[in-house]
Amino acid sequence: MRLFLLYFVVGVVSVLLQTTLLHLLPIGPIVPDLILVLCVYLGLYHPSVGAALGSFLLGYSVDIVSSPILGLNAFAMSLVFLSVYFSSRSIWLQNPIVTSVVVLLAAVVKGAALVLVWAVFLSVEGFWIGAARYIIMEALVAAVLAPMVFALLRRGQNYVEKFRAAAQ
Amino acid sequence: MLAFLRKNQVPLSSFCCLLLSIYILTAAARGQLKNEPLSAVLMWILRPLQIASQGTANWVKGFQENYDTLAGFRSENERLRKRIQSLEIEKQRLLEAEATNLRLKQQLDFRSHLTGAAITATIIANSASSWFQSCTIDKGSADGVLKGMAVVTPLGVVGQVVSVTARTAKVLLLTDPNSGIDVLVQRTRSRGIVSGSLENGTVLKYVKRSEDIQAGDRLITSGLDGVFPKGMMVGAVIKVRKQHLGLFQFIEVLPAVQSARVEEVLVVGAQSDAKRQ
Repeated sequence: MRLFLLYFVVGVVSVLLQTTLLHLLPIGPIVPDLILVLCVYLGLYHPSVGAALGSFLLGYSVDIVSSPILGLNAFAMSLVFLSVYFSSRSIWLQNPIVTSVVVLLAAVVKGAALVLVWAVFLSVEGFWIGAARYIIMEALVAAVLAPMVFALLRRGQNYVEKFRAAAQ
Repeated sequence: MLAFLRKNQVPLSSFCCLLLSIYILTAAARGQLKNEPLSAVLMWILRPLQIASQGTANWVKGFQENYDTLAGFRSENERLRKRIQSLEIEKQRLLEAEATNLRLKQQLDFRSHLTGAAITATIIANSASSWFQSCTIDKGSADGVLKGMAVVTPLGVVGQVVSVTARTAKVLLLTDPNSGIDVLVQRTRSRGIVSGSLENGTVLKYVKRSEDIQAGDRLITSGLDGVFPKGMMVGAVIKVRKQHLGLFQFIEVLPAVQSARVEEVLVVGAQSDAKRQ
């Protein structure tokens, strides 16, 4: 329950940061995708039904505040979670560089999912031309952030577990 | 069967989430997803937090500006520095109050030119994704905001309301690739569609090669889309390129309103025609 609360709070804070403070960063039109990093973390370290639903809800909350059509990011984040869940069976992750690479690939999966769904449901003429640049830039920013966010999440998780052990 | 479900519960639940998202996408694309309760609940949770967070962001922005202003005084002694800092903060506060006053006066003046009802709103959040150019305003259906209404400032067009909850509304900005505004070139009265693009910023589409378009030409709303009042400034042409092949010209546009710098907007209905036109 406490762990659920931790991730709920982290999710809400991530949405708030992405809609407000992170826009102040001098990296052009790109907003660091903390929600993607959180979904990858959940897929790697908490592969559970709750985490799958959490990823869906995180994507859905991005849809509510951003996207022109509901379900776009919910689909992308669920796909990211599923991809990471399957890949986590065959990779061992303790190295920050490997973490970054996984997040980078997850960002590419998310970008590809967005382009695909966008093309099917929104049919914006010539949209895909600029999409590759966005996918690459967003993936690089997410990959750079990932080790730090993972370390913070691990620290928060350790704190919650210590608190739980002390309570017992 | 039960053992299989238990063993594969994570991928199965994730797969169900994928199917649910596709269902939501399909329903939303067909316009069948009205009064969806989860959005309202999430926005109800997020709205006060977003207002507070945007306040912090504005404070950080103000702090950055103050810091830049004060950077030249580093070599001065501590007392003077503190004195200057306090004066700068006070000055910043007064300037901000004056600027806000001026902006609101301009809005009031502009509002008197509109025939229909206009709702004043404040931007409380930007887009959470790099892919979409949108923002959230602090007025919703409870205040009379409806889906499809135009969002403008005295300087020009900002965007269009694409979804509404009771207390907030999502605005698709002019610079989003999904937007499209019917415009006239003020000088030649040629028509076209202004839209965003991921690659080239804001562009004017579907203008024939034979049309005389020059850099610096002003673009105004035609009013034919039934959304934006006629005669509102949309932007100015900054680059015109006629390719070797093709029916149309490639035209880059500088939007009249830099949405990142806008704080207050007016939400107007389609019936609000600008009198000054």
